[in-house]
Amino acid sequence: MELALYSLPFLWQGTLITLAVAALVAVFSLVLGVLLGTLACFGLSPFRWTIRIYCDLIRGIPAVVLIFMVYYGLPVLLSFPINNFLAAVVALTVFTTGQVTEIARGAIQSIHFGQAEAGKAIGLGFWSRMIYVIFPQAVRRFLPPWVNNLTDVVKGSALVSLVGIVDLMLAIQQVIGRVYEPMPLYIVGSILYFLINYGLSSASQRLEGHFAYIRE
Amino acid sequence: MTAATASNDPVVRIRGVGKSFGSNRVLNGVDLDITRGEVVTIIGPSGSGKTTLLRCVNALETYDEGSITLDGVEVCYRDANSRRHRKERELSAIRAETGMVFQMFFLFPHLTAAENVMLGLRKVRGKDKAEARAIAERWLTRVGLADKFDSYPAQLSGGQQQRVGIARAVAMEPKVLLLDEITSALDPELVGEVLAVVRQLADDGMTMIVVTHEMAFAREVSDLVVFMDGGRIIVEGRPDEVLQNPSHERLKTFLSRLDSTRTRERAS
Repeated sequence: MELALYSLPFLWQGTLITLAVAALVAVFSLVLGVLLGTLACFGLSPFRWTIRIYCDLIRGIPAVVLIFMVYYGLPVLLSFPINNFLAAVVALTVFTTGQVTEIARGAIQSIHFGQAEAGKAIGLGFWSRMIYVIFPQAVRRFLPPWVNNLTDVVKGSALVSLVGIVDLMLAIQQVIGRVYEPMPLYIVGSILYFLINYGLSSASQRLEGHFAYIRE
Repeated sequence: MTAATASNDPVVRIRGVGKSFGSNRVLNGVDLDITRGEVVTIIGPSGSGKTTLLRCVNALETYDEGSITLDGVEVCYRDANSRRHRKERELSAIRAETGMVFQMFFLFPHLTAAENVMLGLRKVRGKDKAEARAIAERWLTRVGLADKFDSYPAQLSGGQQQRVGIARAVAMEPKVLLLDEITSALDPELVGEVLAVVRQLADDGMTMIVVTHEMAFAREVSDLVVFMDGGRIIVEGRPDEVLQNPSHERLKTFLSRLDSTRTRERAS
């Protein structure tokens, strides 16, 4: 246990990398997912079909396959190497965007069509209707599944250790490799992962409270 | 949208409007003029096309044939001949000139009563917050909701919600107000308060197209009553002519059915 404590600064470095990967993936997939989710609801049918196919495909592929595809596969095609951090973030973003798109689409479609009509009737254009009428209502239905997805992103980020990024997972492995005490280190690692996700869930509960308005 | 029309030109001019949903022909050559300050009531059995016609006037539906103009401007198409659909931005500008009140209210549930009225004033009319708020308060007061500015829709009764819906529409100062069965979703005891607001608007000279099943109300406020069936206008005339002494067979049947439903409702 003493050894585990001794390794904490090193594990902390790993934790920061895990947080960085998760944060980048979360932000990119949020922006892309909301955009694609909106297009999936209101876009022209070629867009809708492309997005549909993308989401269905991604859902059927393990994240780790995507990471290897981008890290080992793409450089062969492009004939120049890709930095492992960049490859991991890109692959996980592609993976997560598929899920966020579906969450956003569901949230937007759950808003009664009359809301859009009422917006049209007072002369609001498409983006005004989205920003002032649809999104503020959809966000309440979007948040709970999205935060759930976010914790998956944090946990899923452990996969980046497979392409040599020293995140929390790989940091744990490296310490174990030096001190031959797996259990205490896995426990410390689990606690760190848990704390990140627990923080996310409680933050989201506060956020949901903020977006709760009286209705029905 | 120029067309500084003479005051006796119709605000809304409907000519030969036809529309089909697949093989179902919902509008079948409708002609109608609504002049400034006039209240036109459309009655008819469900499926007769009256709501669709109303929704065509502010381009919530498109029409396949014919022409609808608002103050001389073709509503759905860039010009009546080419049938090229208007761009979203042009449609928004036209819709801003028409007010619509919905059967199911469709208030924005995340906004207070005042904010519901303010949204269009701010984002479409470009008024600043204080001015929009002042206009919203004035209209909400006029519809009898002076104590409900900061209430959310869910805190209001159906009748109160619908009055917010009316305030939201008229605050934009539309050229024509479209009312789509606005009391049909209300409890009977709440109908009166909403109709009183509409009556007041009619007295103030608001141009309105009203789709309703309230025959007593139609008789009272309308300058013109239009009976539609099968996507056509069958009878049109002054309310006493059309409603008191219906000459047309289908209109007679429609009115008598309506009466018997009312009687049954009261009996139960």
